[in-house]
Formats: sequence, C-alpha cells, structure tokens
Amino acid sequence: MSQALFSLRGVVKRFDQREALNLERLDLEAGVITVVEGPNGAGKTTLLSILALITPPDQGRLFFDGQDLPNSGSQLTAWRRQITLVAQQAYLFDTSVEKNVAYGLRLRGLERAQREDRVGEALAQVGLAEFGPRRAKRLSGGEMQRVALARALVLRPRALLLDEPFANLDPASALVFERVLGELSGQGCTVVLVSHALEQAHRVAQRVVYLRGGRLAPDAGQGPSA
Amino acid sequence: MDFFLGGLTRGLGLLINLDPEVYGIAWLSLRVSLSAVILAALAAVPLGLVIGQKEFLGKRFLVVVFNTLLALPTVVVGLVVYGLLSYHGPLGGMGILYTPWAMVAAQAVLAFPLITALVIAAVITLDNRVGPTALTLGATPMQAAWAVLKEARFAVLAALAAGFGRVITEVGAAIMVGGNIRHYTRTFTTAIALETSKGEFAQGMALGFFLLVVALAVNLASHQLQARWK
Repeated sequence: MSQALFSLRGVVKRFDQREALNLERLDLEAGVITVVEGPNGAGKTTLLSILALITPPDQGRLFFDGQDLPNSGSQLTAWRRQITLVAQQAYLFDTSVEKNVAYGLRLRGLERAQREDRVGEALAQVGLAEFGPRRAKRLSGGEMQRVALARALVLRPRALLLDEPFANLDPASALVFERVLGELSGQGCTVVLVSHALEQAHRVAQRVVYLRGGRLAPDAGQGPSA
Repeated sequence: MDFFLGGLTRGLGLLINLDPEVYGIAWLSLRVSLSAVILAALAAVPLGLVIGQKEFLGKRFLVVVFNTLLALPTVVVGLVVYGLLSYHGPLGGMGILYTPWAMVAAQAVLAFPLITALVIAAVITLDNRVGPTALTLGATPMQAAWAVLKEARFAVLAALAAGFGRVITEVGAAIMVGGNIRHYTRTFTTAIALETSKGEFAQGMALGFFLLVVALAVNLASHQLQARWK
C-alpha cells in the first residue's frame, strides 16, 4: 500500500452541538481514487470540507503528506494550494469560462501565455475547448460542473476532492468525469469523491470508505470494490 | 406652471451659456460629494464586507444600527461635525471649518452608514459559496474577500451611487460646516436655499435643474461602468 497523503487522527467536527464527524483514524493513500459512501447526514461533505482545509476540525489532527497541518494561519493557503475541491453545485464566478478556469492560476502568479495554454488544455480535457469566451452563468448545469472540473484540473493539484460529481449530470458530462478520473489516477493524483451514484462511483473507485452518523462504518477502509 | 417653465428655461440657459459662477458651484459640488463618497467608501465597503460575511454575536443589532443611521438627519450631522471642527471643538486645531474640507467630512459621515448598510445587504444576499470557492482555488482570505466584492460589484456600485445621491442633494450639513461662502463653499443645494430665501425661485429652480443634470451624468457614468463589467 502506498503512503497516506491524508491522515486524520481523532478528528471531530460539531455543528450546533451536533456531532457531524468523529473519525478516530483514517488514512487516504496517495494516488488512489477513494470513494466515500454513506447516507445523507453521514458527514461526507464535512469530511471533504476538512480535507480541503476550508472547515477546521474542532478536535484532532490532520496530516497532509506526513505534515501536521495548522487549523489557521498564513501557511494554510500554501497547503490549500495543493488540494482542490469541486463542490456538488460548484459556484462559477460571474465572468467568462476562461477567466473562471484561469482564476487559480492568476492567484499563483502564472504569466498570461502560460495561463492561456493551461486553460486551453483543461477545457479540452473536459470537452469544452470552444467554451472559453462564453459567459459562465449562461451554461447548462452539466457544462458548469465540467467548467468547475477544468478549473480544478488546471491547477494540477496533488489531491482532488469531488462532492457528488455525478449528481445532476447529463450522461455525456458523467462520461467526461469518469474518463478524467481514470486519467488522473494514472497520473498519480489522489482523488477523494463523495457520491450517491454508486454504480458510476464504483466503476472508478480503487477504495471505498463507508461513513454512518459521522463515523467510519465497521466495513470502512475495505479494499477496492471494483 | 410659468414658474416651473421659467426655471427650466433659465436652467438650460445656465447650462448652455457656461455661466462661470454656476459652473464653479457645479465643480465644487462634484468635488466635495465625490471626495466624501470615496472617503466614506474606503471605510464602509470593507466594513460592510466583514459584517456581511462574518457571523458574530451582535451582528443583527449592528445591522439594525446601520439601518437606523440611514435616517440620520443632515442637520444633526452638520451640528456634530460643526462641534468637532469649531474653534473650541476637539478638532478645532485643524482649522477647516467653513472650508470645502469640512463639507467633505460632514458628507462622508452622512454617506458612511448608507454605503455600509447597502454593502452589508449586498454581501448577505450574495451566494455564500463565493468565498469558500475562492479559498479552495488557492486564494488567501484577503483574495477571497476581494472575490466576494467582485461578485457583488453591481450592488456595491449601486451603493456608491446611492451614497453620492444622498450627499450631493443634502443641504443642512453643507450650510452648517461650509457656511455657503460665495466662490468658496457654495454648492448647488446651499445656493438653491439662498436663492429661494431671496425670493429668486426661478434661479433656484434653474440650479435644481442643473443639479439633476449633474446627478444624471454621474449615474450614467456609473451605469456605463456596470455595463462594461458585465
């Protein structure tokens, strides 16, 4: 088994006194596509939010590549730039598709020519090569999700987190997601995805983790089911 | 009816004939009001952004306070700023009472709660995924706040336009701290008040018409800016 990219130890998160997540120990291996399953309210989205370093846990420690991560502070942004989250209903900024995809690259200080090349590549990867100048807010739901995926891919993250990537997708967009996930796996990118679309999720999964009531279910961490 | 038509005709005449005194009044009114809005916005926009985005104890109360301050009477602001800037006041040493700077200060105080309240409303009603999305793409908290502001840009611009509208049309504070000194602190509204008190209704109407033209020009510029940002 490869080394863990994410390691959670005693991580607890509560919302309004309600325990949303309580993970004694969870390791997510580098370069592996892990699918997190569980019923509504199981803590899946909370887990992704913690892994994306957006929501700090109330207790416990999170290690990324063996490093103990802080819950806040200026160093957090540097860590966050190695991880990207695509939300279930991703928000696209009220501007063009290409500016949306280039946003993270601008933050990283890439020059215009480099940005344009990488944005073009990422849009082609999700089958939207001609969509660059279009207004993001006028796209269909499936196209928006693909733009959000391109916006994450363009950053070449070490870890890609996907929240319900197959929800509300048309069949063509779902196929694009599946193909891209396969490519990412080959490139050594760590993917963690939360999904209710079990059939599609299991097709790409190399490992499945089950959450129930914010805790790992007894069969958690069992090996690939597909 | 003649009264209104006469005022309109004289207003057009002042506009077309490039009357130097009236254009001087227009230029001062614009300078003072735009400076006041910029000054107020420098504090109000970041404050509105923080209050709108963050959850903290007393947030609702603070929003109610700012909404209440929308009804702040201009003469009360004038009185307070006059007290601060008068010779015996705590800021009397600055020596800016009866100068355009005093008018800028008073108008900035007037615009501040209005811009803050409207920016809070703009940010609160904005999609709450904007900030987290920016963070997940690698933004620092400051860059994420800037992303929120950019997404709310139309509403923020509207807040600034509303602030400008509030201050360029106020008269109470401008008279109290500016003194309505000819060629120095006389603005549209103070000039209108003066002309009306002299019984020169048509001249007052003419200045009022000119004021509307200036306000229209500023709002058109703001509208153009919004169209370009789309």
